[in-house]
Amino acid sequence: MSLIEDLIFFDNPSIWNNFGGTSSGFGGIVWQMFIWSVIVGVLVIAWLVYNLIYFRRKDGDPDHKDALKAGVFPHERGNTIIELTWTIAPLLLVTWLTVISLAPLNYLWDVPEEDENTLTVEVLAVQWQWIFEMPSNYTIPSEFTKCGGVDQDGNPIQNMQITYNCLEIPHDSIIRFNINSEDVLHAFYIVEIGIKQDVVPNLQTLAWLDTSTVNPGEYNIYCAEMCGRSHSQMLAKLYITEVA
Amino acid sequence: MITMNLRKLSIGFLIAILVAISAFPTGNGLPTGITDQNTTDTVIANGCTCHNTNTEATSSVIVNLTLPENFTSGETYTLILNISGGPNDLADGENRGGFFVTASDGELSPTVNDTLVQKPFGFTHLTHTSEGNDYREWSFEWTAPEKQDISVEFVAYGNSVNGADSSQNDYWNKQATTLYGVDAVIEVEAHEELSGPQKLIYAFAIIAVTLGVVVIGNRMVTKDQAFEDVLKGYWKAIYPWLTTTDHKYVGIMYICTGFGWFFVGGILGLLIRWQLMEPRIDGDFLTYEEYNSTFTMHGTTMIFMAAMPIIFGFANYLIPLQIGARDLAFPRLNALSYWLLPTGGIVIYMGYFTGGAGDVGWTGYTPYSSGDTATTPGTDFWVAGQIMLGASSTLTAINFLVTMLRMRAPGVTMMRLPLFSWSILITVFLLLLSIPVFTVALILLMADRTFGTLYFNVEAGADPILWQHLFWYFGHPEVYIVILPAFGVLSEIITTFSRRPIFGYTSMVYAMATIGIISFIVYGHHMFTTGADPLFRFIVMLTTMLVAVPTGIKIFNWLATMTGGSIVLKTPMVFALGTVITFTIGGITGIVLASIPIDIALHDGYFVVAHFHYVLVGGTIFAFMGGVYYWYPKMTGKMMNEKLGLLHFALSFIFFNAAFYPMHNVGLSGMPRRYATYDASLTDLNEFISIAAMLFGFVQLIFVYNVLYSYKNGEEAGDDPWDGWSLEWTTSSPPPHNSFTEIPTLKIAEEEKQ
Repeated sequence: MSLIEDLIFFDNPSIWNNFGGTSSGFGGIVWQMFIWSVIVGVLVIAWLVYNLIYFRRKDGDPDHKDALKAGVFPHERGNTIIELTWTIAPLLLVTWLTVISLAPLNYLWDVPEEDENTLTVEVLAVQWQWIFEMPSNYTIPSEFTKCGGVDQDGNPIQNMQITYNCLEIPHDSIIRFNINSEDVLHAFYIVEIGIKQDVVPNLQTLAWLDTSTVNPGEYNIYCAEMCGRSHSQMLAKLYITEVA
Repeated sequence: MITMNLRKLSIGFLIAILVAISAFPTGNGLPTGITDQNTTDTVIANGCTCHNTNTEATSSVIVNLTLPENFTSGETYTLILNISGGPNDLADGENRGGFFVTASDGELSPTVNDTLVQKPFGFTHLTHTSEGNDYREWSFEWTAPEKQDISVEFVAYGNSVNGADSSQNDYWNKQATTLYGVDAVIEVEAHEELSGPQKLIYAFAIIAVTLGVVVIGNRMVTKDQAFEDVLKGYWKAIYPWLTTTDHKYVGIMYICTGFGWFFVGGILGLLIRWQLMEPRIDGDFLTYEEYNSTFTMHGTTMIFMAAMPIIFGFANYLIPLQIGARDLAFPRLNALSYWLLPTGGIVIYMGYFTGGAGDVGWTGYTPYSSGDTATTPGTDFWVAGQIMLGASSTLTAINFLVTMLRMRAPGVTMMRLPLFSWSILITVFLLLLSIPVFTVALILLMADRTFGTLYFNVEAGADPILWQHLFWYFGHPEVYIVILPAFGVLSEIITTFSRRPIFGYTSMVYAMATIGIISFIVYGHHMFTTGADPLFRFIVMLTTMLVAVPTGIKIFNWLATMTGGSIVLKTPMVFALGTVITFTIGGITGIVLASIPIDIALHDGYFVVAHFHYVLVGGTIFAFMGGVYYWYPKMTGKMMNEKLGLLHFALSFIFFNAAFYPMHNVGLSGMPRRYATYDASLTDLNEFISIAAMLFGFVQLIFVYNVLYSYKNGEEAGDDPWDGWSLEWTTSSPPPHNSFTEIPTLKIAEEEKQ
């Protein structure tokens, strides 16, 4: 992709496309944020430019009647109605932005219970690697070979229960991540999907993902909280695989 | 007379201390004395520490190597080594001793047919055989080298073993001896490799002496002065700066120090950008550890040692002038606050000489920062220096608070303070309420790191996010401490150059006060992805959104001030207007980040980096650069060059946006901050950012040149070059020694007319 395209176009984290069906399209939070950002930004800049065009001082302009004088506190200017307008309008706008944040927030924080409908993956972060453990009663599907290596004949080996820096999960399921840290703070970040959760020692944190909302394929897992020397090497791969 | 002697004496002491520091031998070795890695390995393999659970040498074990007086070349000598003393002072017997000996030159060899001593194949040292460990005395031969004008270093290790099979209760010691050749000139001082700080001090000394000779020599020749007179002249110039308590001098020192650290921090920033020019492997340019130090020092420097000193420099200079006071309430305290700043900064930077500056990020999150094993040793200096800076800020806050509440001139009521003064008043309130919390947290952290306390030790049951609460309780007001004075500067400049009173003075004051109050209840938005209480996170989302309201009021009031005015586009004004644009962009992205669902994806990524650089550089730094152009005439009596100023603005604005705008895109693509390398697909954008950032750095040289050039060649300014209204424009430029020849009275426009 060329630089110009890079500057204009970018891939949204895919979780924004579908916060449980509450957030996609122009009514969704990302588009709303973007549209209002542009409106406010353009409003300010346009007003600034308008001022610069119409209210420039020309040579020989007489001083205004309330022009400033050294050592004299100037006339107070103001207009209560106008000032109230631009107090209340932003208030309404941010209230609106808060309201539309609620549904996706509710979705994100509504972590499913550990039951037979969810697959619970234990995530353990240590300096500087990720360890993933599937539940002991979970039968690893034969399609899961991405994290298992190859045998001496070059055939892919099925994943083990515990995998390092590599996680393979089924498509069309609810995945719950129980996240723990061995040492310091880390952050579990699935880059393309936009899920991020700090990994806190002595405190189990949770994240979850409905894999039916994303395409099968390869995703990146990064550590997003500074954790020491090899922080930027604390990477893992996430594979979402269709299971029969 | 007494004071003269005292001064000489103190200078003498200072010089003595400096010499002592640089001459003090700096040990590079382990306390065991074994420094050479290879030797250590062979020692462990051949008879010393293998019998010993202690890695430390035991001083009561006496190792005695008998050597001749001196040596002649080629001659062979018989040497005797014995051990005695120590906890296992036993006679020879089964498994009672061992040894190991090396010589730096010549050749060691066992005596012919000796079964007690061996020379392992391929090595140059001697050690005992399995039969030899029944003895505590061994003899062997040494053939001297060809040269006899050199010295040879012998190192002997002796192992005192108790005869039991285990290695417990075995002790060892070592002896190092120098043997000189017959022609050797015995030097009293051995030449040692210089340590890092020594090299630096010597290098600076050489540069300083050379510069001194050139400058003083030049002066002596051109002005035809004696050496002493030249020195006296310089001393007279420097002395007032070192001893001043005058708010104007202290203010200028603050500003210069701030911009000086800004330069240093800027170079660190460019190192970061050079590292990120392409995805690099560890150590390609910076090692990952060095990279961590670099961004830590960049952040700390820019916030605490650049932005805050620049702000308090302007406050120092302008607050007494704007409220019509002769000085601050506590001038000596003010000088103390200032001098704590460069000292604290130096302490923080001392980390570079101890094996790597602090590498915990400017936020210093525990438990990474409280564990002393993983972090660099410089982190201790980082903590110590920050405590000093915290003390400095606390004292400053008290000083300004008292000054502004008690020392206003007649007519200067609270609601007639210039908006810059109001912004500083609110800032110092925030400072007084927030920075002690940080200082206390730092003291706890220091106790954890150095005294072994457990405030942040998670394994001992500490709250893992306690530090984050303490830090951000301070950290969020801190970013408003940095931005509110910039609002003040913008208000002053925009009013003056629109030639009209500010629109909605009262609402401006209330807006700033509201921002100040809200700042204490929004800090949780830095912790949206932690495991903190969801209700807490939800509430701070609401309050964070609310910050947009008073901030919006300020921006709209500035724009309304200009509407209907008669705008003069001088350098300070274009900087102010540029700031309005960049700050608005930074403010909008702030609202985007306030929404928790979006923040969860963007947190700790480059979108955040873009956001706070737009606010801090595009807000604070641009505003205060405008402030320099605006108040420079007041401080020096000279106008700054207008053409250079406009060029500086245009290039800065372009390259600033070119460098930081694409960071939004990089962040949306998922690049986390504090990464020393990144996904190769982002190379193009990062390269673009890096090049723009470097150009942005270079452009600042225009600013430096302008300041220096205008000091010599600028036009005379006069008392009120910009037609401003506040009281600083009623005194002369630069102001007289006591700031005002007589205390002014602020008049009111309504009464003026009658």
